[in-house]
Amino acid sequence: MNGVRAFVCGTGIVSAAGEGVEATWGALRRGTSRLTPLALFPAAHTPPLPVGEVRDVPEVDGLPRTHALAWMAVRQVLAATTLTPDALVLGSTTGGMPTTERLLEAGERRPEAYRHHAVGSVAAWLARRLSCRGPVITVSTACSSGTAALKIALELIRCGQARVVLAGGADALCRMTYYGFHALQLIDPAGARPLDRDRRGLSVAEGAAFVLLVAAESPPVGALAELAGAGWSCDAYHPAAPRPDGTGALAAMRAALADAGMTPAALDYINLHGTGTPDNDLAEARAVRALCGDPPPVSSVKGLFGHTLGASGAIEAVVSALGIHRGFIPGNCGCRIPDTALGLLPELAGQSRPVRSVLSNSFGFGGNNASLVLTAPLSAGPARPPRPLARFSVLGTACLTGAGPLEETLARYWRGEPFSGRPDLAAVRTEIPAGQIRRLKRLSRMVLLLALAARQAARPPAAPGGIFFGTAWGSLTETHDFLKKLFDSGERFTSPTDFVGSVHNAPASQAAIFLEATGANVTVSGGDHSFEQALYTAGLVLRAGDPPALVIGAEEDHDVLSPCFDAAATADGGGAFLLDPRGGGTGPDLVPVHFAFNPGGDDGLPALIESLGGAARIAERFGAVFVGLPAGDRSGGEAQLERFRRETAFSSPVVDTRRFTGEFAGASAVAAVLAVETVRRGALPPALAGGEDPRLGGRGILLLGLGEFITAIEVSAP
Amino acid sequence: MEGFIAELKDKIIETLGLTDVRPEDIPVDGQLIGSELGLDSIDVLELVMMIEKDYGVKIENREVGVKVFASLRALAAYIDANRREKDR
Repeated sequence: MNGVRAFVCGTGIVSAAGEGVEATWGALRRGTSRLTPLALFPAAHTPPLPVGEVRDVPEVDGLPRTHALAWMAVRQVLAATTLTPDALVLGSTTGGMPTTERLLEAGERRPEAYRHHAVGSVAAWLARRLSCRGPVITVSTACSSGTAALKIALELIRCGQARVVLAGGADALCRMTYYGFHALQLIDPAGARPLDRDRRGLSVAEGAAFVLLVAAESPPVGALAELAGAGWSCDAYHPAAPRPDGTGALAAMRAALADAGMTPAALDYINLHGTGTPDNDLAEARAVRALCGDPPPVSSVKGLFGHTLGASGAIEAVVSALGIHRGFIPGNCGCRIPDTALGLLPELAGQSRPVRSVLSNSFGFGGNNASLVLTAPLSAGPARPPRPLARFSVLGTACLTGAGPLEETLARYWRGEPFSGRPDLAAVRTEIPAGQIRRLKRLSRMVLLLALAARQAARPPAAPGGIFFGTAWGSLTETHDFLKKLFDSGERFTSPTDFVGSVHNAPASQAAIFLEATGANVTVSGGDHSFEQALYTAGLVLRAGDPPALVIGAEEDHDVLSPCFDAAATADGGGAFLLDPRGGGTGPDLVPVHFAFNPGGDDGLPALIESLGGAARIAERFGAVFVGLPAGDRSGGEAQLERFRRETAFSSPVVDTRRFTGEFAGASAVAAVLAVETVRRGALPPALAGGEDPRLGGRGILLLGLGEFITAIEVSAP
Repeated sequence: MEGFIAELKDKIIETLGLTDVRPEDIPVDGQLIGSELGLDSIDVLELVMMIEKDYGVKIENREVGVKVFASLRALAAYIDANRREKDR
């Protein structure tokens, strides 16, 4: 079979420039800024700062503004196609925050009021509305989220996991981001002026954009462009500031070009991240100069739209696709006198000229960098042959549970005793001085401890390149503390430290700094299946020969916020793996096999069983099933499990893992660690075998995640 | 002024969660940021917030910030001068 390519066959976009491709196109041609003083909510103590605000956002089922913006973009894509997406990937940072912050301020405590809070709830809501029954992934890597979403979508196609992927980004204005960037003194009071000598910062904005990516060997009718490649990297340098020499940004750009099989000389245009902050623009200019001796035309569109955070990468992918399709390079709106210190002259005005290839950059907090290469159809290098999901050999494991770290957890597990609860992090030994982790609150601290322990457990020691982290709720302590200080002070004061720590990717990017992990740094979110999503995403993007990667699932239980967001939670903690994407090592292998959205339904069970090779192979390969049945949809999960038993006639022990891990969104990561340790030992704790033979008979364990998603991970015996 | 410097040391330790730092570890005339204390730009901004909240003194741009945070003594003098100016 020939290599498969990913063509952009539809777009949808909404921003301060209006709704739809034509409104966006008009604004790009005119090239005048769409930034206006904030009107969406009252600015408490300063004149309203310029923002990129979307006018007339319709009310959609009482949903948060991020969901409504996403829908405005998605409906444009759907209106122009007969195709049905079989996968959905969304980049977002705010999720339901625009609504959540109002509810919290008003003292609302009923969980049903927060059912659309999670950053993953946007994609889940869209998938429900579209009846999508395939992979549904939410990536939250701060301001590179939208670009990271398209990278993941491309790998879904290359791995044959989907044929039609709806991928994009969405973020809405809210007080959290408005005051957060203000506290960091990263806002230009005159409106963003990227690359200008006098630039003083960015302009916070909102919007959404999606592309419909279609897998094909040759361009389908109506294809606007091809997503030829994408790459990412992590600065592993600082929680908010970019690595000043631009080497992190450079690594992402080089990875994207290599992925597309292209050289820098082939680029016709670089769409800069170009936020307008002094540090970003300087580091990015250095990176571009290092990439290309003689750079092609460059510009940033953030003086026009503002910085739409998690949506920006998707918005700029649509702008880039339009530029290719219609032959246009956008002007660098807002820049009047280019900063000579940058050594990089942007296109000040838009110009019509043929564009066959574009590199588009997005860089986020935590040094999470991502770049895309879009080209005219078939103008990049040869397509790669399709490949399967990666198969991982386990180099190291770690967990944190109510019993403590791995050793203490296992002691209870082998006795068949539950270990639900909150781990006491202060009791965990670490060689890191207290001063260096003083800013890390509960979730970031857990993730760092897990990452260090998983690395430590590897024999021989191995340094991770990438980190893949799954979390449903993110850093709750920072989120809570930031909002509390904001509300308590009448919106006068906030904590910049808490803002930086509150982003979902803060824990994984902090861990990257300590571990000097400069590879892909990807944080994904999808409720109780966030760990499975992280492992699946790692399986999509890693290949044999890549350095080992950490895959982590963790969650914190917060006294105020957890009862609102996840009322069933009784515990916290998590699990971590150091994995070698070669597979077939001396330890057990961990293999992501299946990941599909199927809320409460069991119609996805036949596809799951087929992914696992059918009933006979399941009986032959697995001596036990570990099943995660989240409390949020326990009855739906039980019905799915019943159908699994019926259709496979599985007769070995089935272990309900939440009975001993406790109930929390990261429980499946702990269960996966225990499954690996159980396969290493070759037998279940007798108390968990339900009176049956606890020995695995040389077989592995199948990890099933049921409920909102249907997921399967193989833990295969060596 | 020495009394005010001592007060600021306590505020810095509390605001930045420097649990393993004693007041005498904080240099008065030496470099505050980038010293052995391990403070960086986010800490500066956290202190900017604290100074506005507790002393009503704003430090809103980078150029001023670089001078003001050159040392603890410079910081104390700046707060003191601007607080008085405001009181007049």
